[in-house]
Amino acid sequence: MSSENKQILTTDGTPLEVSLKKAEKKNKIKAFLLVAPLLLFIIITYVFPIGDMLMRSVDDKMVTEMLPKTYKSMEKWDGKELPPEEVFEAFYIDFQKLIEEEKEGKLSTQLNYTKNGFKSIIKKLRRKSKSFEEGNYKEQIMAVHRRWADVEYWRAIKRRAPAYTYQKYLKGMDMYENEKGEIVNVSEDRRVHRILWLRTLEIAFFVTVFCFLMAYPIAHLLATLPMKYSNLLMICVLLPFWTSLLVRTASWMILLQQQGIVNDFFVTIGLVTDDNRVEMMYNKTGSYVAMTQILLPFMVLPLYSVMKTISPSLMRAGKSLGGTPFVAFWKVYFPLTIPGIGAGCLLVFILAIGYYITPALVGGASGTLISNQIAFHMKSTLDWSFASAMGLMLLSGVLVIYWLYNKLVGIDNIKLG
Amino acid sequence: MKKISKLLLALSFVFSLTTSAFAVTVASWGGAYTESQKLGYGDPTAKKLGIPINWVDYSGGLSEIKAQKEAGAITWDIMDVFAMDTINGCDEGLFVKFDFDKDFPPAPDGTPASKDFFTGMPSECAVGNILYSWNYAYNSDNVKGTPKTIKDFFNTKKFPGKRAIYKGALTNLEIALAADGVKPGKGGAKIYKALNTEKGVQRAMDKIKELCTDPKGGCVFWSAGAQPPELLMSGEVVMATGWNGRFFNATVGEGAPIVQVWDAQGLDYEYFVLVKGSPNEADAKKALAEMTSTEGLAGSAKYIAYAPWRKSSISVMQKGEPWYKDGKTNMVPNMPTAPANTKNYFLVDPLYWADNGTELGEKWEAMKAGF
Repeated sequence: MSSENKQILTTDGTPLEVSLKKAEKKNKIKAFLLVAPLLLFIIITYVFPIGDMLMRSVDDKMVTEMLPKTYKSMEKWDGKELPPEEVFEAFYIDFQKLIEEEKEGKLSTQLNYTKNGFKSIIKKLRRKSKSFEEGNYKEQIMAVHRRWADVEYWRAIKRRAPAYTYQKYLKGMDMYENEKGEIVNVSEDRRVHRILWLRTLEIAFFVTVFCFLMAYPIAHLLATLPMKYSNLLMICVLLPFWTSLLVRTASWMILLQQQGIVNDFFVTIGLVTDDNRVEMMYNKTGSYVAMTQILLPFMVLPLYSVMKTISPSLMRAGKSLGGTPFVAFWKVYFPLTIPGIGAGCLLVFILAIGYYITPALVGGASGTLISNQIAFHMKSTLDWSFASAMGLMLLSGVLVIYWLYNKLVGIDNIKLG
Repeated sequence: MKKISKLLLALSFVFSLTTSAFAVTVASWGGAYTESQKLGYGDPTAKKLGIPINWVDYSGGLSEIKAQKEAGAITWDIMDVFAMDTINGCDEGLFVKFDFDKDFPPAPDGTPASKDFFTGMPSECAVGNILYSWNYAYNSDNVKGTPKTIKDFFNTKKFPGKRAIYKGALTNLEIALAADGVKPGKGGAKIYKALNTEKGVQRAMDKIKELCTDPKGGCVFWSAGAQPPELLMSGEVVMATGWNGRFFNATVGEGAPIVQVWDAQGLDYEYFVLVKGSPNEADAKKALAEMTSTEGLAGSAKYIAYAPWRKSSISVMQKGEPWYKDGKTNMVPNMPTAPANTKNYFLVDPLYWADNGTELGEKWEAMKAGF
C-alpha cells in the first residue's frame, strides 16, 4: 500500500493531520488572544516605562545639540587651565542662537545639574551679552561673573559633551568622571547617596526581619485556630490595610513621642523619670516601628496561606516518631513554610525599599531615604534622568536580591497562596 | 519607545479630563489654603467674569505639568507654585512670560502693577500671590521667660529643650547665620553674600550642628506644615520654626498658647503661573488678572494669615478691619509684612536656592547623617 492510501481523511476530505493542526492553531490563537490583554497590559505598564527610564538615564543629546560649536572647539582643550579664546567665542555663538530660540533657560537647568551655580550666571550672561562687542569674548564673558573665570565650570560644560553618558549612575554613587577620564569621588562633605543607599537597605532589612519575627506566630495562630476565631483575628490583621497610611503614621507619632502616651505610661509606673523619657520617635526606631506595623499584613498573608495547607497530622507524626516539639517544628513544620517565608520577605523587603513618606515623618535626622532623593529630583529639580538612573539602580538592587533568593531557595519555592 | 510612552501618557490624561472642559483649572495645595483662595478671590472672579473656575489639588513641584506637557495634553491653566518652581518652569518653557504692567491691572490709585507689588518677580513667568513667613514660635506654657530674638532660638542655656526645624536646608542656613551674628542687611543680602562662600555655608551648618547635637537642645525635623504647631502643643519641642499661617491658626483658631517671634523671619512667596499652551489660556489670563487685583488678593487674607502681595491690598484691609472671617481679629498686625514684624527679616532668595539647592541639600543630608 502506498502511503497516500494510509492517510486518514476527515468527512470533508482533508487529511486528519491538517485538520487537527488547523484546530490546534485555532486553539492556540484563542489562548493567545485570551492572554493578550494581560500581555499588552504588562508591556504597556511595565516594559515601556522601564525602557523609557533607561533611555532617559543615559540620553544626553540635548546639551550636545545645544552647544555644537563649543564642543567642536573643546576637542583640543585638555581641561587643565581655562579654555582658549576660540572656545569662548564658539560658546558665545552657540549661546546667542539659544537666546534666539528661547532655549537658554533649558541649558541653564541642564548645566546646573552637572555643577550647581550655573543658573544665575547664565541668566546674567544673557542680560550682559546683549551689549557685548565683537572680539575678545573670553574677557567679556569672564567679566560677567567670577564663576565664568573658574575652570571648574568649563570642565563641567565639557563633561556634558557625549550624547550618551553614564554620568548619572556615577552621580548616584557619589562619583564623577573628571577631565582626565578618571572616575573619582565627589568631595567628602557631599557624599550622601552612599549613606542613603546603605540606610535604605538597612531599614528595609530590619523591617523585613521584624515583620517576619512578628508575623510568623500570628500566621501560625491564624492557621490553627478554629474558623470563627481566626476570621476575627484576620480582620484585626487586615484592619490597618483599610486605614490611610498617614493616619497610621500620625497615630504612632502620638503614641511614641517623648510626651506621648507610651512615655506617659512609663513615667506613671515609674519605669523612667519625667525628664529622662525614652526616645522612640524621630530616629530609626520610629521608622522601624511604623514601617513594621504598616507592612505586617504583607508578611502575615503569604505565611498564613502556606501554613493553612500544612496538615496538623504531620507535626503529630513527627512527635510520635520520637521528636521533641522543637525538633518536630524545626524538621517538619518550618521547612514546609519556607515558600511562604520567601514570598513574605520578598514582598516586605521590596515594598520597604521604596518607602519614603513614613520615614520622613517619623525618622528624624535619619528619615531621608534614597526614594526621597528620587522624589526630590522628580518634583523639584526636574532632573528626571538622574531620578531614572537612581530608580533603575534601586530596581537592579531588587533584582539582585531576587536572583540571590533564587540561588538560595529556588524561585519555584515561592507561594503567595 | 518615546513616542509610545508619550501616547500612553496622552491617553491617560485624556481619560482624566474633567467634565468641565471650559472651566479654568487652577492647581493649588489644597486644604485651608485653597479654601482661602477659593472664597477670597476664586468665587468672586468667577462670578464677575462669568468664567467657571475649577480648583484641583496637587502636592507641589513641576513633575505633573512637565508630564502633561510631554504628553501634549495639558489640563491645568494656572498653577500656584514656589518661587524656585517659577524659575525652573520658566527656564523649561512650561509657563507663559508676562508683560507685567499690560497683563495685570494697576492699583486703585493708578500705581502700575509692577510698582504695587512688594518686590520684583523672580522670573518673567511669575505673578505674586501671597507672602508667608518662615518664623519661629514657642509654647508659652513650656518656656520660662520670653524668647525674643533668633539668638534665643539657638540659646539652649537660657531656653533648654528640643527645637523643631525644617527637614531641609532651606531657610535653616539663613537663620543660623542670623543667629551667629550676621546682620541680614537689606532683604537679607548680607546673609546670601555670606552663603555664597564655602566658609559661610560651613559656618551655618556648624551652628545647626551645635544646636542639634547639644544635649540640652536637640532637633526634631518637620516635613509637613501641620507639624510645628502640633509639636509645640504636645510639648515635644519647646520652640519650632514654621509657617506663620499655621501658627496663627493654632492661636486664633484653636486658642493654643503659642507665641510667634518675628525676629530674622524669612519672607517667602507663593506665585501664580500661567501654563503655556493650556486649554483655556485666554480665559485663564483674564481670571488671573482679576484674582491678583488689589481687591482679589485682599480677599484671601480674610481667611488665612498670609499677606497679599500688593501694597494697595493692605490699605483695603486696614479700612475693613477687623478683617478676619471671625469678625473680631485684626489681620494687618498678623501679616508677615506688618512694620512691627519686619524690623529684622530676610527675603528668601529663590535664585540662590535654584542655583545651589541640590548641592546644599546633599551637604545638609551628609551633615544630618553625622548626628
